[in-house]
Amino acid sequence: MRFMIIIKATPTSEAGAMPDRALLEAMGKFNEELVAAGIMLAGEGLQSSSKGARVHFSGNKRTVTDGPFAETKELIAGFWIWQCKSKEEALEWVKRCPNPFNEESEIEVRQVFELEDFGSEISPELRESEERLRAELESRQKKA
Amino acid sequence: MRFMMLMIPKGYESAAPDAMPSAEAVAAMMKYNESLKKAGVLLALDGLHPPSTGARVTFPDGKPHVTDGPFAEVKEVLGGYWMIQVRSREEAIEWAKRCPASSNETIEIRQVQELADFPPDVRKAAAGYAEMQPHARKAS
Repeated sequence: MRFMIIIKATPTSEAGAMPDRALLEAMGKFNEELVAAGIMLAGEGLQSSSKGARVHFSGNKRTVTDGPFAETKELIAGFWIWQCKSKEEALEWVKRCPNPFNEESEIEVRQVFELEDFGSEISPELRESEERLRAELESRQKKA
Repeated sequence: MRFMMLMIPKGYESAAPDAMPSAEAVAAMMKYNESLKKAGVLLALDGLHPPSTGARVTFPDGKPHVTDGPFAEVKEVLGGYWMIQVRSREEAIEWAKRCPASSNETIEIRQVQELADFPPDVRKAAAGYAEMQPHARKAS
């Protein structure tokens, strides 16, 4: 099963501050462990919400709001996608993660939907087009 | 430039563990996903199980502390994401506007950090990170 490991924003990350060398090295080492264990599929950091935007949907209306957004604690600073055997395994790895910021921080663990989770809810046609989409994305990534 | 479109569905913060989108919603979304792919902008996408099946880890005093979902007092949660490659923030916003989202859903657009955005010493410390990811996309 795949999990999205969400690193929540903090006042530091929202201020666009760069991590210090010690934290960078600790995170680099942790990333290497994840790779060696065959767990890491992807991982990215996001620029602060001040450079972002939100599109809110209401019926046919779309309202665009420029960042920054107020609820800092609910914002996302970065994420990994991991392949794990269980939620418990994912949590064990998260516990070993260096505190991502030099302040109080939070990491959220969420399971990713796989096609089989939908069971018979999904028509064979839809299943096929989803599989094709994923296969194509993967082959594009390999070429990149 | 790479952007994440983060889907924030109102109400998902308190959704039951077995909550799932309807077949119609999935079909509409697949059409949108296809259009992203056809335009050559789609890099990755995923949907997330409800937060009631998730967990949060905090590090008070440096020690990890686990709290199982659902998370009380949380006003908004992530339902899924798209990673897209576009020329500008405006183009990312245009794509978000075309999503067949329901009322009370919000898509947040955030630019992904590229190694080139960092000062040289950070770039050096992070060297090799891109290669670590089997499914990584090279920044362009």
